[in-house]
Amino acid sequence: MNLIANNLKYKPDHEFHLNDVSFNFKKGNLYTILGRTLSGKTTLLKTIAGLLNPDSGDIQFEEKDFGKIPVWERNVAMVYQQFINYPHLTVYENISFPLKQRKLNEEKIKTDVNEALKTVGLIGFENRKIQELSGGQQQRVALARSLAKKAKILLLDEPLVNLDYKLREQLREEFKKIFSEGFSDETILIYSTTDPQEVMELNGEVIVLDEGKVLQTGPAKEIFENPKNLKVAEISNDPPMNIINGAKNSNKINFENIDIDLPKHFTKLENKNYSFGIRAAEIKLNSNGIEFEVELAEISGSETLLHLKRGNTKIIALIEEVMNFKIHEKVRVGFNPTKFYAFNEDGSLISSPYGVYNG
Amino acid sequence: MYKFYTILKYSFVTLWTMFVVAPFLWALSTSFKDFQSVNSKVTYIPWVDYQPSLEGWKVLIKSPAKGGVDIVEPYFNSIFVTCTASLISICLGTLAAYALSRFTFKAGFVKNNDITFFFISQRIMPPIVLSIPFFIFLSTIGLLDSLIGLVVVYIVLLMPIAVWIMVDFFNRVPKELDETALIDGCNPYQAFYKVVLPNSIPGLIVAGMFCIIFGWIDFFFAFILTFTEVQLLPVKVVALNSSVTPWWSLSASALVSVAPLIIVAFVVERFLSKGNLSGALK
Amino acid sequence: MNFKHKFVFLFPGLFVLIGILIFPVIFTIRLSFSGWNSYTPEMNFIGITNYIRLFTDDPRFWESFFRLSFLSVTTVILQYVIGFSLALMVWRDIKFKRFFRVMFLIPMMTTPVIMTVIWRTFFHESLGPLNDILGFFGLGPKWLSDPATAKITVIIVEVWQWTPFMFLLLLAGLLSLPKEPFLAAAIDGASAFRKFVYVTFPLMAPISIGAIIIRLIEASKIMDTVFVLTSGGPGTATETSSFYIYIKGLREFQMGYAATLSFTYLVIMIISLTIIAKVLTKLMIKE
Repeated sequence: MNLIANNLKYKPDHEFHLNDVSFNFKKGNLYTILGRTLSGKTTLLKTIAGLLNPDSGDIQFEEKDFGKIPVWERNVAMVYQQFINYPHLTVYENISFPLKQRKLNEEKIKTDVNEALKTVGLIGFENRKIQELSGGQQQRVALARSLAKKAKILLLDEPLVNLDYKLREQLREEFKKIFSEGFSDETILIYSTTDPQEVMELNGEVIVLDEGKVLQTGPAKEIFENPKNLKVAEISNDPPMNIINGAKNSNKINFENIDIDLPKHFTKLENKNYSFGIRAAEIKLNSNGIEFEVELAEISGSETLLHLKRGNTKIIALIEEVMNFKIHEKVRVGFNPTKFYAFNEDGSLISSPYGVYNG
Repeated sequence: MYKFYTILKYSFVTLWTMFVVAPFLWALSTSFKDFQSVNSKVTYIPWVDYQPSLEGWKVLIKSPAKGGVDIVEPYFNSIFVTCTASLISICLGTLAAYALSRFTFKAGFVKNNDITFFFISQRIMPPIVLSIPFFIFLSTIGLLDSLIGLVVVYIVLLMPIAVWIMVDFFNRVPKELDETALIDGCNPYQAFYKVVLPNSIPGLIVAGMFCIIFGWIDFFFAFILTFTEVQLLPVKVVALNSSVTPWWSLSASALVSVAPLIIVAFVVERFLSKGNLSGALK
Repeated sequence: MNFKHKFVFLFPGLFVLIGILIFPVIFTIRLSFSGWNSYTPEMNFIGITNYIRLFTDDPRFWESFFRLSFLSVTTVILQYVIGFSLALMVWRDIKFKRFFRVMFLIPMMTTPVIMTVIWRTFFHESLGPLNDILGFFGLGPKWLSDPATAKITVIIVEVWQWTPFMFLLLLAGLLSLPKEPFLAAAIDGASAFRKFVYVTFPLMAPISIGAIIIRLIEASKIMDTVFVLTSGGPGTATETSSFYIYIKGLREFQMGYAATLSFTYLVIMIISLTIIAKVLTKLMIKE
């Protein structure tokens, strides 16, 4: 029951939307596709659904060539980011639409629809018109329609991106519950997002996509701990991982004329230039630390994102309070040495706090 | 300053309304006149300027043999031709418009926009250009002076309108709706008529309205391509103009001919105010 | 998404249209190379004689073309200005809004030829109401028998008949505009004039252009009005290209030459209208 793709390529205009993408998805698993906007996520999902045909490469599902099966005969379901529902139908009619298409009998349809409504928490909404519902409710209807189908492949394309922050958090929790309980071992779940936090919370198998290329695959924890290269580090962190260009001397790290104690896991590295990576959360205010100049202070919720500059190096520090900083103010920060990453000149990861990743 | 603008606004609007109504009032008044009232001097208000007579109106009821004007048959002919041609144009045109909106066509250098342009450019042809060839064409296949022949010709006139309006409208319906229908198990035909069509009613109504209007008002093709067997309304009325028909019967026939579509004006206004039309006409 | 089904959608309409059109178009082209007239009613072949005649020996055609451009451009401009003004006035609050809207729509719903028949009696020099009223001011133009005023009558009738079309398209456009820019303008304290110039007009640009192009296409076919009102006269004062082709073809029976005129006219119109459309659209994109 695997969904296998081999070397998918799709280049409708001057750029590759899919550049040699391959994967092997097993039933009963959740796969999250992480990538920035225009990285090819939607294209990939649409190709699996059959709405797009790749220029080359093939997709196999259940050992059959998927490419030969038209969209309406594939057993897939898709939830869009734009709350797509049938405007001319009620909630009940929306959810039962695919079931009616499959010519199931009335009784079975009723049971399945009610089950789906229960899962998304919309019992009692059967006869409402779509236009009367809020954004969150509409998206739930779309989800319910996909669930009711009991499709073998469920695709979700950034389903929460058009909802407000609170709703997004709430639905994400519900998704986690639905994904862990509400699915048989037969379904393959594919969820795409630009939000690294979402990826970590959903905790599935992650595929990092950029410009149509698969950069890395692995469990969420693995992507977090050992991003394969600079690009992955950039995509899989929010705020992006700080990259500091410097060098390693025998027992120090040097950048912008400052020496820091060498992290233990760097001892086996050669003495040369590296790009060092460190997350914003690992940089703290420290009166004994290194002096930087404040470029910008963003207050976000109960945290402050501090944009700092020193010479040619720019970093972002995550301060866990709300504090007032003036532009051009000088502050001192310290780095948690155990959390440093080292990337080679070609961008590949050579050392991480969670084990040396020597490629 | 604001007051000035308001006065200006109401004056302009009222003046234009008077301009709109003028020919109707004149025709109404004239339809009740007789020889005396028309030819001695210009007269306006019945019973004040002249003695009203029902001659003009009686003529519509009298049979042609007794000097009357038969307007009933042309009426029905016009209705039949207009509605049939509009229906066919809308059906074929909507299907084509859907294809042009959703799918990509490429035959050498000819692409979607070119095909759409081809449809719409049919409106550029003045009737005269097509009427002589159509005359010969229809007489060759024996459809001259027939209702079917006219329907065939009117399709060329009306399909471009249907395509123009529906392409624009379909472009406004999100593609994702079609895609969801396909994913839910519909083949492209089912996706079209189960999902896209029900959401396109405003567009269809606008297309239908324009088709009926432009079909109903055609004069030239009916003039060239029909004679005695089949007569459409506009032709009939103009024929009265050239013969020795007096002004009063002329006015009466004219008024009766244009009355029905005025109802359409009310319908259109309704739609406009309800907001359905705006989206479709953009 | 592209499926094989796409052809099933497109082809019925396309083929029916081409099928009905193909004979007339090919026939016209073939006819234009023949000398079919009342003396030799047959399809002979005289090469490009007709075309040479058209381009070197027929000033009347080019005059009619010039007249047509003048008439259609004038009426479309008038229709646009008046139609837009009317739409603006009944767009927001005004007493009897719905009454006025219906009134403004009515002329478009009438059959032009039939109304023109009425207009003919209206413009009658001695028995028509217009001159009767103007007589009080000492005026009494010979509407339909003077070349200059004949043109004016055509313009008046066309404006009466088709301004509603512009009015409808523009009002529908106005009603569909988003509210936000106007709220912003109100907050910024913009006067009515500034609001129009900087908010309303630019937002309406695409619709305006669409409406103008469509009206121009329709106006270039002016035939019914001329046919009934003036028969192209007096003399050739209101003779448009369509009417001239009609005379040559169906009155003088010079079918071959009429076909030449038709085809040339068609090509010129398609080229010029396409150019106008492209220019206007580029203008809009630049905005």
